[in-house]
Amino acid sequence: MPRFATLDAAWMVWDGPAPAREDAALDQTRELEKFLAEIERRAFRMAQVALRDPDDAMDVVQDAMLKLARNYAAKPSAEWRPLFYRILENGIRDLQRRRSVRKRVMAWLPGPKEDPDNEASDPLDSVADGGPAVPDLMMQSEAMEQLEISLRQLPARQREAFLLRNLEGLDVAETAAAMGCSQGSVKTHYSRAVHALRAQLGEVW
Amino acid sequence: MNDPATTRLEERSRALLCASVENLDMPTRSRLTQARHAALAAAGRGSRLRDLRWWAPAAGFSAAALLGVALWFGPVGIDRHAGSAVRMSSPPAAENQTSLEDLDIVASADEMELLQDDVEFYDWADRAASADPGSVG
Repeated sequence: MPRFATLDAAWMVWDGPAPAREDAALDQTRELEKFLAEIERRAFRMAQVALRDPDDAMDVVQDAMLKLARNYAAKPSAEWRPLFYRILENGIRDLQRRRSVRKRVMAWLPGPKEDPDNEASDPLDSVADGGPAVPDLMMQSEAMEQLEISLRQLPARQREAFLLRNLEGLDVAETAAAMGCSQGSVKTHYSRAVHALRAQLGEVW
Repeated sequence: MNDPATTRLEERSRALLCASVENLDMPTRSRLTQARHAALAAAGRGSRLRDLRWWAPAAGFSAAALLGVALWFGPVGIDRHAGSAVRMSSPPAAENQTSLEDLDIVASADEMELLQDDVEFYDWADRAASADPGSVG
């Protein structure tokens, strides 16, 4: 056996294309962008259902994207989804808490009291260009409005469980990770949400 | 297993929610894309800053170690009599003392002015001290 056989092997390894750190970071950024692009609309709708205001929903979604990209990009991509929704739900809860404090402060101040939370949402807001025929669209829009109203009447944890399982399609374990609770709690919240929705929408649907 | 009414509700609500996601208007989609790009760009900047943050303590520690070594081994000066760069011949403790005194003088503008006023006197005092350490002071 030649004396430098191992050295040759070492040279081969040395000369081979080593994965550069920049390339790995670029791949990760691309993967993260793909992930965010895939979920951003559903996340926006979830935030919009909870907050009603599209601008607030947009802010919360952007903040969640930023926090995920800044703090958790290095985590395995399989963990991004529950992490992202946990950040999003925390953001929604923080905003709702701030609103509630603001509302209490405003109640003490003189002047016209306007409560944006009680504004009736315009059904035409959810009407999009193109797509289904107008009567179908109107029926769909009306049904969606009823669903949104019912979802907003649910306790926050039930609404979270329902949307994460039903819209985002997370399984029980992922939903539990996103909500920061046990799988048993997820099942309980989801079951209660479904029963409450059935009670509210059963007659209409 | 779910009863049919529950299953119907789940399916219908999923279909409606998915349709509302698909039918999001273009301005909203555009804002979401901008938000995504902004988040990724900000995260990129943050990661570069974090890299610097990791290097900063190491750089600070190196600088402190270098300063410590320089102070410990004392000043290297020109010995006028030998005409070459040599270490001063006094013991380390005295050298450190001298370095600190020099530092005080350099830091104090008044002292510098005093030195400039009578350079020849200090030159003479230095030479006299070198010649006979017991005769001055």
